[in-house]
This record gives sequence, structure tokens and C-alpha cells, in this order.
Amino acid sequence: MMRTARLRAISSFLPDAVLSNDTLADLYPGWSAEKILEKTGVRERRIAAPGETAADLAYGAALKLFAEAGVEPGEIDFLLFCTQAPDYILPTTACLLQARLGLRQDCGALDFNLGCSGFVYGLALAKGLIESRAANRVLLLTADTYSRFIHPGDKSVRTLFGDGAAASLIEAVETDRVMIGPFVFGTDGRGASNLMVPTGAARRARDAETAAETTDESGNVRSLDNLYMNGGAIVAFTLRAVPAAIDKLLVTAGLSLDDIDLFVFHQASAFILDKLRGKIGIPPERFVVELETCGNTVSSTIPIALERQVGQPTGDRLAMLVGFGVGYSWAAACVRL
Amino acid sequence: MSAFREGLAEIFEIPPAEIGPDFSLIDNNWDSLAIVSVIALVDECENLMLDGPALAKCETVADIEALIAKARGD
Repeated sequence: MMRTARLRAISSFLPDAVLSNDTLADLYPGWSAEKILEKTGVRERRIAAPGETAADLAYGAALKLFAEAGVEPGEIDFLLFCTQAPDYILPTTACLLQARLGLRQDCGALDFNLGCSGFVYGLALAKGLIESRAANRVLLLTADTYSRFIHPGDKSVRTLFGDGAAASLIEAVETDRVMIGPFVFGTDGRGASNLMVPTGAARRARDAETAAETTDESGNVRSLDNLYMNGGAIVAFTLRAVPAAIDKLLVTAGLSLDDIDLFVFHQASAFILDKLRGKIGIPPERFVVELETCGNTVSSTIPIALERQVGQPTGDRLAMLVGFGVGYSWAAACVRL
Repeated sequence: MSAFREGLAEIFEIPPAEIGPDFSLIDNNWDSLAIVSVIALVDECENLMLDGPALAKCETVADIEALIAKARGD
């Protein structure tokens, strides 16, 4: 028997407002609601209310987790918050959430800024904290509100992304098998400018010049203050990096594709998931697709897909989780669910 | 008809017979979605990753095929 970390429970939380394909089709000439669904796999996405932040969504997810998993806030001894939309430049949003959730004052708390790879990174951080005996119970919160960054006239991203959050509980367990891991990680900062909000932090402040709108050759409107995605570059990166990461993980784990019960990838879009599945050769019945009613929620797509399609962890199934995107950053892990 | 041209016909939602070297991309919704679809198609058919910005500048099917030949090192 050994002390190891396991994923015990997941609860997700979405904002109330719905942005449907019908609404978007009215705005974008030449795009029908059916075409948007066919190309993206998304029928509707949820959008945070004015004034509702990623931290608010994470708070909602944490309360739901406490209720559903029967956990008391006082049992948490480390909070990890993954977001790209912190409440403030400083202080750390995780500190605000510690107080708001009523976590103990001897609880560690930190933010980490990652997008689509964030959940898998969070599992790695939680495992490290638990197996080094720095913590027994880690609350991993993932939340993003990309809708805040998206120009309403940019169909290339508005059709894909939705706001949302997930809370995951990772805890120490005495067992004879590894429950989380191994991991592989990847980073290529040369791709940073292909998925980016260029202004609003220390490198470039927002001003009248950065707010000037431009229209690209596909008719999408945005300014430097908005999210920009170079779809072609992101697809090329994904089709190159993800299969290679999976090969590396399988070698590291000493497994083959057939040994994996479930593949749960970052739910980027139905298009890219389909291309990845075909390229890697994963049978559809073992490949989870879950974005029709929530869209791409960035760091929360994997836990939302797990909660909705796999159910709460029992430890009986071996899943491969793969996050990839903004950075570029990617990470893959085997996890017993 | 190559798998590549059949794939193009599917992307542009037209009969495969209409896809020839002179087929105009710019007259047929050559938008970001079509571009990412062609990148994935070329990866699938040719095991080659085309450069997005260079692909966006293509105006005809012949231009894409020239880009593929270049990427292949022909």
C-alpha cells in the first residue's frame, strides 16, 4: 500500500444566460444555426452575467461540490485556482475565494494561469502536494469567462467558447495502484500570438488606439483588446502536438491505446476532436464528446465532460485526459476514474 | 479523383466533379473555417502540415496543390 492522490469528485457550474446558434445565425449572414452546430459541435453556450466573474462561477462550483460530495470547507487544506480571468491584477483570486468559501486559514491557496491545459496541470499540482504530504485534500477550481474578451462581431471565437467553471476534489488515499499519472507536459511559447488577448496586462495597457476595431478577411471584427485566435495555426499545432503527446504518454505508462477505457480530451470543437480521434485511431465509443450545450469552456471542458458523461469517479476505469491550447501549452495524463 | 479533391468538395459542399485546378476559393466562402478544414484535410491525406497564413493567400485549388508540393519538397 502507498499514499497516492485520487480524483474523488467533480461538480460543474455554468452561468444562467444562454447564447444559442439561432441568435448567432441572425447576426452572421451566411451561417445557419445548423451550420454552426455541424462545424463546432456547439448548439448553445452559457455566458456570464455583467459583473459575474470567473471567481463567482468557481465559487458556485465549489459550493455545489461541497454539497454533492459531502465535504466540509474546513476539510480542504489547499486551493488551486486555474483561470485566465482573475478578479484583480492583485491580490491572488484564490485568496479571495479562500475567505469567501470559509476555508481554513492554514489552507494554502494559489492561482495559476493556464487555459485549455489547466485541468490536467491542476491534477499534477494536486498530486505533487498530496504525495509530498504538503496537503491531504486539494480543491481544484477551474473557471473562465472568455465571453468578456470576445468581440460580438468575431464569429470565429464567439461560436466556440462558453463560460463555465468546475470544482474537483483530489485527496490522499492508501492504495496499491497509482490513481493519477503518469503525466506528460508540453510547452511552445512560439505559438503565443496565435491565441491571445494582447492588451490589459503589464505588456500593453488598454487605450483608445488598442480599442480601434478592425475587420479581417473573413469578416470578423475585433480590436487588440479582444481575444484573437488564428484558427489555422491552432489546428496545425493541435494535430501535431496532441498525437505526439499521447504516444509519449503511452510509452511512459507502458500501455497501448487498447488499455485505455476512455479518452477525454479538451473539448475544443467537434471539428478538431473528430480530426484528432481519426488521426490517433480511437474508437468513437471510447471517445468523449461533450460540448453541445456548453461550448468550449477552456480550463473546465475536461471536468465538465467527466461529470456529465462519465459520472463520479469510482476508480474502476482508466481514462486518458489531454488538455491543449493557449500558450501553446499541453498536458496529458492517465487517471483512474 | 484524389482523396484530397474529394475532401475539398466536401468542405465547399459542391459535387466533386466541380473541383479542378482553376476552382476559385475566394468565390466560395474561403473563410477561416474552410482554411482550418483544408489544413486538417492535407494532414490527413498527405501527412503534411500547411502554414495557415500561406494557405489563406491561396486563390485556387492549383495554389493549394502548389503549396502542398512545396511542403513536400517537390
